[in-house]
This record gives sequence, C-alpha cells and structure tokens, in this order.
Amino acid sequence: MKLWTLATSTLESFLHNRLMLVLLLVGIGMVLLMMIPLLGMKATITGQNKAAVESMVLQAISEVVSLMSGLGSLLAAWAATDSLVSELKAGTVLAVMARPVKRWEFLLGKYIGVMLLMAGYAAMMICVSYLLAWLGGQHIHANPLLLFAYPLVRYAIYAGMAMLLATWFGSVMSVVCVMGIAIVNTIVQPGSEDWKPKLMWLKTALYYVLPSTNLLSEERFLSLRQAALKPTTWLEHGTSLLYGLDYALVFLLLAMWSFSGRSLRRD
Amino acid sequence: MTTAAIEFQQVTKVYRQRLRGVEVSALTNASFSVGPGEVCAFLGPNGAGKTTSINLLMGFFFADFGEIRVMGYPPGDVRAKAQIGFLPENFAFYKYLNAERLLRFHYALAGGKPSSAAPLIADLLAKVKLTEYSRLKIGKYSRGMVQRVGLAQALLKDPQLLVLDEPTSGLDPSGRKDVRELIAGLKAAGKSIFLSSHLLSEVEQVCDRVIIISKGRVVQIGRMEALLGNSDQVEIVVTALPEELHARVTGWGGSVTAGEHGTSVMIDFGHKREFAEAIWAAGHDVVRIAPLRGSLEELYLKTVGNESGVA
Repeated sequence: MKLWTLATSTLESFLHNRLMLVLLLVGIGMVLLMMIPLLGMKATITGQNKAAVESMVLQAISEVVSLMSGLGSLLAAWAATDSLVSELKAGTVLAVMARPVKRWEFLLGKYIGVMLLMAGYAAMMICVSYLLAWLGGQHIHANPLLLFAYPLVRYAIYAGMAMLLATWFGSVMSVVCVMGIAIVNTIVQPGSEDWKPKLMWLKTALYYVLPSTNLLSEERFLSLRQAALKPTTWLEHGTSLLYGLDYALVFLLLAMWSFSGRSLRRD
Repeated sequence: MTTAAIEFQQVTKVYRQRLRGVEVSALTNASFSVGPGEVCAFLGPNGAGKTTSINLLMGFFFADFGEIRVMGYPPGDVRAKAQIGFLPENFAFYKYLNAERLLRFHYALAGGKPSSAAPLIADLLAKVKLTEYSRLKIGKYSRGMVQRVGLAQALLKDPQLLVLDEPTSGLDPSGRKDVRELIAGLKAAGKSIFLSSHLLSEVEQVCDRVIIISKGRVVQIGRMEALLGNSDQVEIVVTALPEELHARVTGWGGSVTAGEHGTSVMIDFGHKREFAEAIWAAGHDVVRIAPLRGSLEELYLKTVGNESGVA
C-alpha cells in the first residue's frame, strides 16, 4: 500500500511537471512532422517505383521508432533522477520520510512510479509503431507483449542506473553520466568500429560489464523492413529479458544501499 | 521505568566537505532527554544546531558519535516514526495537491486505511481552520495556511511524540494563539512535544522544560519554573513608602513603582528583611512579598549572549 501510494504520487508529479509536458509535446510534434514526408512518399508510389519508395518509407518508419526508443531511454534516466533529486531539493522528502516508511521503500516506490510512466511511454511507442507500419502499408507480426517488454526492460536499466547516480549527484550530472554510459555502451557492442589493439581489453571489459543494448533490442526479432518475426523462441526472449532485469535489479539494489546511507539534506 | 520520548547521549555531528577539506562542527557532545508527556522547548540562535538535532532524531542525518533513542528506538526506525508527528521548518509539499489529498497521502503512508481517512481528515482540517479551503491547491495557499496544513499532517494518526520545528512561523497572532491552544490540548492529552521556536513568549506559556543550545553545545537545561524562578530580586508591595526609605531603595539599586493598590518596590533578595522591618517600623504595612520571576527572554539572552540571530 505504501509503495503504491509513493508510486502513484510519483507518477502524478510527473504529469504535473511542466518540463515533462513540454518534452511530450515536442516528441509528439516531431513524430507528426516526420510523418509528413512519410505520407508524401507514400502518395508518390507508382507501379515502377513501388519497391524503392516502400524502402524509403520503411527507412523513415525505422528512424522514427529508433528516435522514440532513444528518447524513451533519456526520459527514463531523467524521470528517475528527477523523482529523487526534486524531492531532496524541495524538501518534500522530509515530511514523507517522517512517516513510517523505510528508505528502500521510498526509493522502490519512486522507481515503480518511474516505471509506470515508462510503461505508458512504451505503450504509446507501440501504438505509433503500428500506426507508422500501417501508413507504410506493412504489418507488424511481432507479439505486442514483446514489443512492450523489451523497451521497458531497457528503460528499467536506465532508470535504475540514473537513480543510483542521483543518490550521489545532482540531476544534470546524473543524466549526463547515464547518457555517457549509454554512448560507451553503444561503441563497445560487437559490430561497432574496432578499437586500437592496445585498448581492446577495455572494450571487452566494458562489453561484459555494461548491459548489452543489442541483446535487449526488439530489432533482434522484429524487422520492419520485412515486417516479419525473426525466429526467436520464448526461452530466448525470457533469457534476454531476465538478463536485462538482472541489470536493472542490481542498479536498483545499489541505489537503495546508497540512499540508505546518505543524509536527506536539501541539495 | 518509563522510556524517554527523546534521548541524546554525547551526540556529535560534524559536516564535512571532503573536496574542500572543510569541517564544521554542528553538534558537540549534546546530551538531553525529553520525558513522556513533557512539552520541551528547544531554543538557540540561528546555526546553533537545532535543526541538525531534529534531523538527527528524525533519522534524516546520521550522528558521528553518541547515541540517540526516540521512543526507545534508534532514529529512523519505523516503529519510532509510527509514533511521531513531525512538522519540519519550512514545510514543503506537493503543490498540485489540495489539503485533503495531501492529508490522505500522508495518512496512507502512515499505514492508515483509506476508508477510515475521511472523518479524521475533516476533523483535522476543522481543527486548523482550513475546512473551507480543503479543495484549494496548496500551491495557492498563503504561508500561514501552509503551516496549518503542516500542523494537520503532523497530527495524523494520533502521534505520541510531536516534533515541531518553528510551528508558529508565518502565522498571524490569532494563528499563533490557535497553535498555543493546540499544544496545550496535546499536553493535556499526555503527548510529548519537542518544540523549536524563536518566539520565546509563546514557548514560555506552553513549555514545561527548556533546552538552550549554542554553537552546537547544550548550555542550559531545566524545568521552566526552576530556571525562571532563579531571579535574585524580590517584589515587595507596601501601603506607603516614606521619603527616607525611597532614598534607601534607590541607594540599593532597586526600583519603585507607584500603583493603584500600593507602591511596588523591587530590591535584591538580601535587603528584603531590612526593608520590611523598616516599613513596619514606620507604621506602614507590607501587602505582598514575591520573588521576581525572570522572563524566558532574559534567561535566553543571559545564556547565549548577543550571538547573531538571537530570537
């Protein structure tokens, strides 16, 4: 009950956050803007250029989905950081923590609130994906549950990481660190540009330490280009998602441990 | 043996800025206790360590040395927090909530069942005179109204110990009177109250005990009447004061005030007998002899001197 109270209050505070609303409006505006050339291209399809235009349409769809997914990671990091830092800054944490609430309960409640927000975002992302695929004359055959679960697990990792950093730093620093880690994460994935031989050990070490974005990407099984499901078993999905959840859990536990030992001073 | 509501034993807290190598000692070997059912004033100039002490006892900060027990438990323990009502200095709130929803939120966090919240919340809002504003967002409240909501949330779930940091801050005289009456009511109900305030006259009226802290050290502690009754002056009211005795009083450094029911003379305790006998010898009478009670403000200023931020 306490966790749910904290989670819903966190979600509500996001919905009253002006910056959040502005970001959301900007995001929706960008998607709508990107849909204009998409619809324009679709209108120019003739018998001769059908394949080429369809390819361009699908490319545009893929970019919109990637952009939304990336923004989602940023949103997860920012929301997790803000949920904690804003409470400490405003001092609202004092009245809350004067209640019989344990510190880990407070942090977990905040985390659940962030994940509720991200669940809404992921659901919206699926709707946009289906809409774009429909506009592009394609069908998404993937299970919507998986399309929902994969980004949510990625967001859970970013939110956990941001929350851990927010127990040490301010909001800007925490988000910048998460983004830095995300960039490093991308450049250590297999297939990325090779590093100098001297630094290969670092790349390998970082690859094993950081969560694999390739493994946790829905692109592994969903290809919009063919709009078909790549053969991936449920066991494989389960293992990949557990792998991601494991990372998220480790970050969350570290954040709880760090928060339990810090003073609740107004930063 | 009854458990003290609050117990500080040799508590030390140092703020450190490791990168800058700065250390500020906020509390040094502070020891005091607040008994059950006691209303205790916690006084001191700004920066003396009052809010640090409150943050330590609430479990928001951690002490470097010493031991703290609150309702018999370590600070921050949920069993202790379940018995505490807390009003922080500058009560912060979620601006998008109204008073009713804020209290409902705190009630849920305190482990209350939502079904039983409505009558209690209505009662508390009436107590702090906010019933007609209960649906207005707190962001639109005045400073005094916010303080009243803060008080209402502190009283949720019938706490045994109230920790109030500047409860009358931002309140008008009538609001301050309401708070004073509220505290008196809680005292009568046997609640322990730990009250930090700069309004010494208010404190003097409601508190049983006083703890004065200065530069992180406890410098004065005791029961109110014992501390304020320690004046070395006495007030003697006489039916008349002959010229010769008036001169003698002035010579002793005393003061004379003519009143409707006689003349009031204030002199050192040591001259009491001599003066009374002289009055009787002159054929006049003594109406009243009473030790002069000091004010809390006098005691405070005497104790902490003229440090900046004096109440």
